[in-house]
Amino acid sequence: MNAIDSLRDMITRNMRQSGIMVAFVAIVAFFAILNPNFLSPTNLTNIVLQYSYILILAIGMLMIIVAGHIDLSVGSVVALTGAVSAVLVIRNGMPWWVGVLAAIAVGLLVGAWQGFWVAYVGIPGFIVTLAGMLLFRGLTYLVLNNASLSPFGGNYYDVANGFLNGLLGGYGVDVFTLVIFGIAVVGYGVSQWRTRRGKIAYQQTVESLPLFVVKLVIVAAVVMWFGYQLASSRGLPLVLIILAALVIIYGLVTQRSVFGRHVYAVGGNRHAAELSGVKVKKVYFWIFVNMGFLASVAGVVYSSRMNGAQPSAGNMFELDAIAACFIGGASTTGGVGRVGGAMIGGLIMAVMSNGMQLMGVPQSMQQVVKGLVLLLAVAFDIWNKRRASVVR
Amino acid sequence: MTPGRTPLLALRQISKNFGAVEALVGVDLDVHAHEVVALVGDNGAGKSTLAKVIAGVLQPDSGLIEMDGAPVTLPSASAANRLGVASVFQDLALCENLDVTANVFLGREMYNRAGLLQEGQMETETRALLRDLTVRVPSIRTPLRHLSGGQRQAVAIARTVIGNPRIVVLDEPTAALSVAHTAEVLTHIERLRGMGLGVILISHNLNDVRAVADRVEVLRHGRNNGSFRGDASHEEILAAITGAGSPSL
Ligand SMILES: Nc1ncnc2c1ncn2[C@@H]1O[C@H](COP(=O)(O)OP(=O)(O)OP(=O)(O)O)[C@@H](O)[C@H]1O
Ligand SMILES: [Mg+2]
Repeated sequence: MNAIDSLRDMITRNMRQSGIMVAFVAIVAFFAILNPNFLSPTNLTNIVLQYSYILILAIGMLMIIVAGHIDLSVGSVVALTGAVSAVLVIRNGMPWWVGVLAAIAVGLLVGAWQGFWVAYVGIPGFIVTLAGMLLFRGLTYLVLNNASLSPFGGNYYDVANGFLNGLLGGYGVDVFTLVIFGIAVVGYGVSQWRTRRGKIAYQQTVESLPLFVVKLVIVAAVVMWFGYQLASSRGLPLVLIILAALVIIYGLVTQRSVFGRHVYAVGGNRHAAELSGVKVKKVYFWIFVNMGFLASVAGVVYSSRMNGAQPSAGNMFELDAIAACFIGGASTTGGVGRVGGAMIGGLIMAVMSNGMQLMGVPQSMQQVVKGLVLLLAVAFDIWNKRRASVVR
Repeated sequence: MTPGRTPLLALRQISKNFGAVEALVGVDLDVHAHEVVALVGDNGAGKSTLAKVIAGVLQPDSGLIEMDGAPVTLPSASAANRLGVASVFQDLALCENLDVTANVFLGREMYNRAGLLQEGQMETETRALLRDLTVRVPSIRTPLRHLSGGQRQAVAIARTVIGNPRIVVLDEPTAALSVAHTAEVLTHIERLRGMGLGVILISHNLNDVRAVADRVEVLRHGRNNGSFRGDASHEEILAAITGAGSPSL
């Protein structure tokens, strides 16, 4: 297969995936042209800090959507876990890590609670988490006595606001950050190369070598450029490390583990999965426990970023997380979607919000635009599917 | 059939009610190795119900199930699977969003000590399996939704062979298939028999049945209503199915 054919084949085969990448690049370019500050080191750092918790939520949400459910409660769970942590750390003067562990414990409990109702009682996730949205918001108010708590300060504050900088020195450009990004790029390259070798060994089709190399080089260049921007600003944000670790782990869980395979199977055809011996109830239960866990991580990050807990924290986060998944190619009927796609979907939302803010677009207009983008993304998906089935 | 040989699977006096509906009433059925037994009967005769009992999806209200002459219970699909029963259900049980390999290994994935899927090994086995059954698909990584009905049915049959089953239950595997595809599926069934398996084939198409079956068992209103050799005439079997000339009328 020559390079052109291979390229065309790749694009048509991954229309949805590449479509979303093209859209992302276009949106970034659009804002970069309109506002020279958009790609500045400080602003790139800001985007990471501002939307990390939505991206963390989107990972868990994606698994729930793939399994054919939805979770409307994550915003409330973010608030509740942050509140519990704030009460322990701020009001009772406990160490920062007690707050973190308590938040995660609460998240797991919440997840087990919702998972129980969905998996073992058989109530649709939509209803269970709608109830949860009210329930956990109410509990947040109770835990906080209707009042905000602040500040966390210290190590807790650093979770979402801290940077690794100057560990290896450098003149205005943090060497450590560059080294980490370098390792990431090499790791990515090696894993791609090994996947390719594996595919060839098992006689699967792969894109032609030049195309493969070009792809790697582009990705490496973009990532290193991004790393350089961070390095010349404040260094490597801690949340970026957390986020990267989660994306890698959940990428493996969803694409390479038995559990992940079963999540897709259950979302694709619950009945078939059950007859094939997949433990459907267990899958339902654990995806909600997992969502509770990730919501608690997001709760810690968000309360840390806000340096305190408010009763109304995390309002509407569920909608951002859900939108990220659907923009990123998840199917509304379940069974389809990837963590990587949800991350790009979340970044599209993030870049649009940030870009419009920089341009001084009023909040009302921002919502209109984001709503339209969500609608168009799903419409494109449906159109694309229809086209594919006509081709067959 | 050699008389006196212990059947691979024997059902004795199996009954199953759904509320007031008597789906199965005292049904007997034997299946031997290297044998294709066709199960025929009118709509609602209880064929799928019997298939689900054998597959462990439904539990009979009464009756005895024996494998190799020893009584067994089949409390779940996975229990039946462990005892060597594999099934393709009438309402095709495949995941359209997953690719061929993932479907073939669904619920029985191969994984390493780290809990990660061994895709390479599963692909190799799938490829060998499809070759043995002469199933043709564009690629073993093609999602099922891109396959034709016949190809899907072939994948469904192929997946029964994973885990070395001894009995394969096929509930209307040729329904909704073109003539060419039906012929292919029938070849797959003959291959299964060639591999030494006992095959239970449920079908409404007497031509298909007579083409591959060694024995034809008729169900009518949930009861046994005749047993024929595979080369019995169309009319004979049809009479038993419709009840024409049966002793009860
Ligand atoms: N889950 C169920 N609940 C209640 N009744 C059922 C159920 N499954 C089957 N039945 C009833 O049991 C009887 C036998 O059904 P079964 O599906 O076994 O028929 P069949 O021989 O497979 O028919 P067909 O040729 O139409 O597939 C029918 O009267 C049916 O309505
Ligand atoms: Mg039936």
